[in-house]
Amino acid sequence: MITWAGWREKCTPLRRAWIPVALAALIAFPLVSGDIYYQNMLIVTFMLAIGASGWNIMGGYAGYLSLGNSLFVGLGAYTTGILAAKDHVSPFLGCFVGGLVAATAAALLSLVTRRTRGMYFVIVTFAALQLVGVAATTLSGLTGGSQGLALPLPTWSLSYQDWPFYYPMLGLLVVTVAVAAWVRRSKLGMGLFAIRDDEDKAAGLGLRTAVYKMIAFVLGGTFVGIAGGIYAYYVTFLNTAAVFDIITSVLIVLAVLLGGRGTVWGPVLGAFIVAPISNLTSTSLGGSDAGAIRLLLFGGLLGAVAIFLPRGVLPVLSRLLPTRPPVPVQPAHVPVPAARPVEPSDVLVVRGLRKSFGGLRAVDGVDLTVPRHEITGLIGPNGSGKTTLFNLIDGTIPSRDGSITLAGRSLDHASRPARAHAGLARTYQLPRLFGSLTVVENLVVPERHHLWSTRVTPVERARALGVLDNLGLAAYADSSPADLSYGQRKLVELAQVLWLDPVLVMLDEPAAGISPALSARLADLVRSLHQRGVGILLVEHDLAFIADLCQRVCVLANGNVIAHGSVAEVSADVAVVDAYLGDSVLPAVRS
Amino acid sequence: MIELGQALVFGILIGGVYALMATGLTLTFGVMKIVNMAQGAFLIVSTYLCYALWQHFGLDPILAAFVVMLPMAALGLVVYKLVIERLERIDPGLTIVATFALALITEAFLALIWGPNQKTTTPVYFNQAIHIGQLVVPRAQLYACLLAIVITVALRQTIKRTWLGHAITAASENPEGARLVGIEPARVGAWIFAIATGSTAFGGAALSFLYQFTPDTQDAWLGLTLSVVILGGLGSVAGAFAAGVLLGVAESLTTAYVSVRWATAVPTLLILVVLTIRPQGLFTRLTRQDAAS
Amino acid sequence: MIHIEGLWAGYGGLDILRGVDLRVARGSINCVVGPNGAGKSTVLKTISGLLWPRQGSISIDGVDLTGKPPATILHAGVVQVPQRNGLFAKLTVRQNVLLGAYIHRKRRKHVEQRYDQLAQRFPLLRERPDTPAGALSGGQRRAVEFARAMMLDPKVVLLDEPTLGLDPASLAIIRDSVRAMNADGVTVLMVEQNVRFGLTLAGHATVMSAGRVALTGTADEVRDRPNLMDVFFGAVPGRT
Repeated sequence: MITWAGWREKCTPLRRAWIPVALAALIAFPLVSGDIYYQNMLIVTFMLAIGASGWNIMGGYAGYLSLGNSLFVGLGAYTTGILAAKDHVSPFLGCFVGGLVAATAAALLSLVTRRTRGMYFVIVTFAALQLVGVAATTLSGLTGGSQGLALPLPTWSLSYQDWPFYYPMLGLLVVTVAVAAWVRRSKLGMGLFAIRDDEDKAAGLGLRTAVYKMIAFVLGGTFVGIAGGIYAYYVTFLNTAAVFDIITSVLIVLAVLLGGRGTVWGPVLGAFIVAPISNLTSTSLGGSDAGAIRLLLFGGLLGAVAIFLPRGVLPVLSRLLPTRPPVPVQPAHVPVPAARPVEPSDVLVVRGLRKSFGGLRAVDGVDLTVPRHEITGLIGPNGSGKTTLFNLIDGTIPSRDGSITLAGRSLDHASRPARAHAGLARTYQLPRLFGSLTVVENLVVPERHHLWSTRVTPVERARALGVLDNLGLAAYADSSPADLSYGQRKLVELAQVLWLDPVLVMLDEPAAGISPALSARLADLVRSLHQRGVGILLVEHDLAFIADLCQRVCVLANGNVIAHGSVAEVSADVAVVDAYLGDSVLPAVRS
Repeated sequence: MIELGQALVFGILIGGVYALMATGLTLTFGVMKIVNMAQGAFLIVSTYLCYALWQHFGLDPILAAFVVMLPMAALGLVVYKLVIERLERIDPGLTIVATFALALITEAFLALIWGPNQKTTTPVYFNQAIHIGQLVVPRAQLYACLLAIVITVALRQTIKRTWLGHAITAASENPEGARLVGIEPARVGAWIFAIATGSTAFGGAALSFLYQFTPDTQDAWLGLTLSVVILGGLGSVAGAFAAGVLLGVAESLTTAYVSVRWATAVPTLLILVVLTIRPQGLFTRLTRQDAAS
Repeated sequence: MIHIEGLWAGYGGLDILRGVDLRVARGSINCVVGPNGAGKSTVLKTISGLLWPRQGSISIDGVDLTGKPPATILHAGVVQVPQRNGLFAKLTVRQNVLLGAYIHRKRRKHVEQRYDQLAQRFPLLRERPDTPAGALSGGQRRAVEFARAMMLDPKVVLLDEPTLGLDPASLAIIRDSVRAMNADGVTVLMVEQNVRFGLTLAGHATVMSAGRVALTGTADEVRDRPNLMDVFFGAVPGRT
C-alpha cells in the first residue's frame, strides 16, 4: 500500500528529473519528427514563454503589473526587421540590437515608477503601448507603417524546416528561465519581493529601490526583445497593428496569471497551456466567427483565472508535491561587535523642524538632541506631533525647514535609503515585515553587495541566527512572518534594526500591545544596544516603561517641546502635568 | 484665420463628444478609484443596442438612448456585484485584468451577434450642417455636444442635490464617517457603477451616428476616455468636460497644422505626460491632507 | 442604559479591548479617560458597529446590539460624534447636518423641520448653511457635528474626544452644548483626553488602561483621587 508520505518520497527524484527530461525531449523533437505543424506551435509557445518569464520579473517579483509588454516584442521585432530589410543585417545578429532597444525602453519605463505606482502604472503601460503603436504606424518611412515591412526570406534549405528558428528560441527560453530562476534565488530577487510587499519599508531599510527596479525591468525586457527579433524573421512580414497589439500583452499576462505569478516555472507552464489553445483556436475554427470565438475563449479564460484562481495553477500544484526539507537551524554564537568610538557625543541634533498640514502646525519649530550617553524618550499627549516628528527625521515626510544632523552629518536633503545608510534605523507602531520572505531574509535583505549571489550567504546566516538567538527567536529563522505572534513580529522588526548596526535607533511605541514580560525583555535589549554606543530615541505612552528605561525625556505638546530633562524633573513639571491632564475649564482665558 | 476658427469649432464639438463618452468613467475611476477596462466595451454595447432600435423601429438614436439606459444600468449592477466587489477586496490589479477580460468577452458577443462589418446609424441629421458665417457646424456633432452638456449637468445635479449624490460624495471622501451616519459604502458603490454604466447609453448613441463602428472600436475609446478622466482630475464631472474639450481642440489643431496621423497620438501622449508630472489632473487642486496624529 | 460586559475586540491579530465591563446610567454624563492604547475610542467604535467584538455583549436600553451593523445602531437611537473626520469637507453645513438623518431620508418634511428646530439652537446652521464644511474652523466643525448628532433625536450620544484640536476658549462652548444635550434627556458617554475638563463636566467617570477598566466611580471621586497620574500610567518611580 502506498502511503501519502511514501508517495511524496518517491516524487522527489521525479521532481528534480523532469527538467532535463523535458528539455531533452524538446531538443530531440524536430530531429525525430518531421511534423512542421507542431514545430511551429512550439516556436510560438517558446515566444510566449519568454515574454511571460520576462513579465514575471517585473510583475511577479517586483509587483509592477504591466499591460504593455508587447511593446518589447514589437521594438525587438521592428529593430531587427528594419536592420534586415534596409541594411541587410542578418536577423540573428540584428535581434541582439533589438534586445538592446527593448532594454532601453524598459529602463525608461522603470524611471516612470518613481512617480506612478499601482493602477496608474498599468494605465501608463497601456498608454505607452498605444503611443508607440501610433508612432510606428505614422513613421511609415522607417517602419513601413500599416503597409507592412517585409524581411528577406530565409536562405537555408527546406530540409532544415524551421530548425534555425526553433533552436535559437528554445535556447533563448532556457536562458530566460535560468535568469529568472537565478534572480529569484538571489539578493536582487529578495529585494524585489521586499519592494512588492512594502516598498516604503524597503527604502527605509536602505534598499535603493530605484536601482533594483531598473535592473528587474531591463532583465524583463531584454530577452523578450531578442525573441521578438527572431520572431520577426520567423513571420517574415511585420505590420504595426498586428505587432503592437494589445492581445499579445493579454496573452502574456494570461500565461503568467494562469501558471502562477512570482514563481519560476509558472509562466512557462502557463505559456504551454495558452499558446497551444491559441494556436488551435485560430487554425481549427473556420468561418467568419472564428475571431470572435477566440476572443470569447480568451476573455473567458482570463476572467475565470482572475476570479477563481487568483494565484494560478502552480502554487496549487506545489502544495501537493513535496518540498525540500528545511535546513536544520543551528544557532551560532557570533562575537558582539566592539563598542563604537564615542564621538561626536550628540548622535542626533534636530533644529527648527517644522511641518504643517493644511492650516494645522503639526510640528512647530522643534529642537531636539539625542546624546549618545542617555537613552532619550519622547512623550506627549495624543496629537502632539510625535509621529510626524519621527517621519520628518527618517525622511518619510520631506522637511523643508530646519536641519537634521546625524553623528555630525547633515541629513537635510538625503533620500530615505541614504538616511538608512547614514546609520538611521526605525521601527513602526504596527510592525512592518516582508510577508514573502522568511524571518532570516527579512533581516538580510538590505545587504547590497553582490546582488547576484545567493539570498543568504552562510556568513550572513550565522550572523542573523546570532541576532535572532539573542532575541529568543532562533527557532523561527525560516518561518514566514505570518506565522509569528504580534510580539514576535515586534522583535523581528527590532532584529532588522540590529542587523543594520545603526548609529541611531528610533523606536515608535515599542511596548504597545505586548505583555509586561515581553516589554521587560525589550527594555533589556534596548539597554544592551545602548551600551554598545548606539543612540536611542523612543516614543512611548507607557510612562512606567519610559521611567524605567530613559535617562532623559522630551515632552512634546501641540508641536512644541515644552519640557526636557530627567524623568523625575519632567513629571514634576506643572506644564507637563497640565498638558497630559488638560487645562481646567475656568472662565479666565489662558494667554 | 477661418481655418483656425473652423479647427476650434470642430475641436470644441468633438471635445464635447469625448466628454460624453467619458462620463461613466469619471464616476467609477474618479470617485471609486476602480479601473474599469470594460468602459469602452460598455460604450459599444450601448451603440449596438441603439443601432438595433434604430434598425428595427426607426427610433432616433438619441431617443433610443433613454431606453437603452435601463438595461445598461442593470448590466453595471450585475458586473459590480459579481466581479468588482469580490476582486477589489483581494487585489485591485485583478480587477483590471478581470474587467479587461470582460471587455474581450463583450467584443466577442457583439461580433457573434452582429458580425464584424462596419455599421452606422443614419438619422436625418447625420450629414447635415449649420452655417454660421463662413464656419461649418455639423449638426450631428452639435447634437452630440449638446447631449454631453445636458448629461454632464444632469449628473452634476444628481451628485450635488440628491440624497444619493450626497451619499456618494460622503462615502468616497470618508468611508468611516459615512458608516457612522448609516451610509454603507458597498451599496453606494453598486449605485455608482449602475449610474455610470447607464450613462454610457448616451455616449453610445452619439457614437452610432458620428462614426462607423465595429466590435473592436472599443479599444480606441478606452484609451481616449481614460485620458479625459485623468486629465480632468479624478472625480470631477465638470473637470472631465473641460478636459474633453481641451483634448478635442488639441487633436483638431494637430490635425489641421501637423498631420492627421499624429492626431490619434495626442490623447495617449497627454496621459503619459500628466500621469508623470501632475497625477492629480489639470483641473483639481491637491487636496488638503488631514492633520497627522 | 448602556450595559457592556466582558468585551474583547481588536484589529487583525491584536486585542485592544481585553474584557471591558462598563455601565452607564440613563440620563447621566459619563466620561472615560486613560492613556493612549487603553482602548477608549475602540469601545465607542464597537458600540457604534464599526468594529465587531470577539467576545462579550453590548446592550442599550435592554436591547442587545452586539455585532449589529451601524445602521441598526442608529435606528436604536445611538449616535456617535467621532474624534476626527466626522464631517464631509466637500459638502455644505446644511448637507452635512441633513445627512445625520440619512436613515430617515424618506421622511423629507420631517427631516427639514428638525433642521429648522436645530437652527434655533445652533446659530451656524442659520447663518452659514451653504459654507463647505472644509472651510470651517475646528470649533465650528464641532458645533456642526453636534447639530448633526441631534438630528435623529437620539437617546444616547457617544462623543470621542470632543475637545481634540480646540483652543481653550472653545472648551466652554463644548461644555455648554453637552449640558444642553443632557438636559434634553440624552445619555452622554464621552471619551476625553483632557481629564480635568472631562471630569468637571461628567457626573461619572471611568479610567481605562491596557484594554480594561482600571477604576470607576463618580467624577468627583475619581478626579480628587491622589496620584491620579499613577493609576493612569502605572507607577512612576521618584513619586510615591
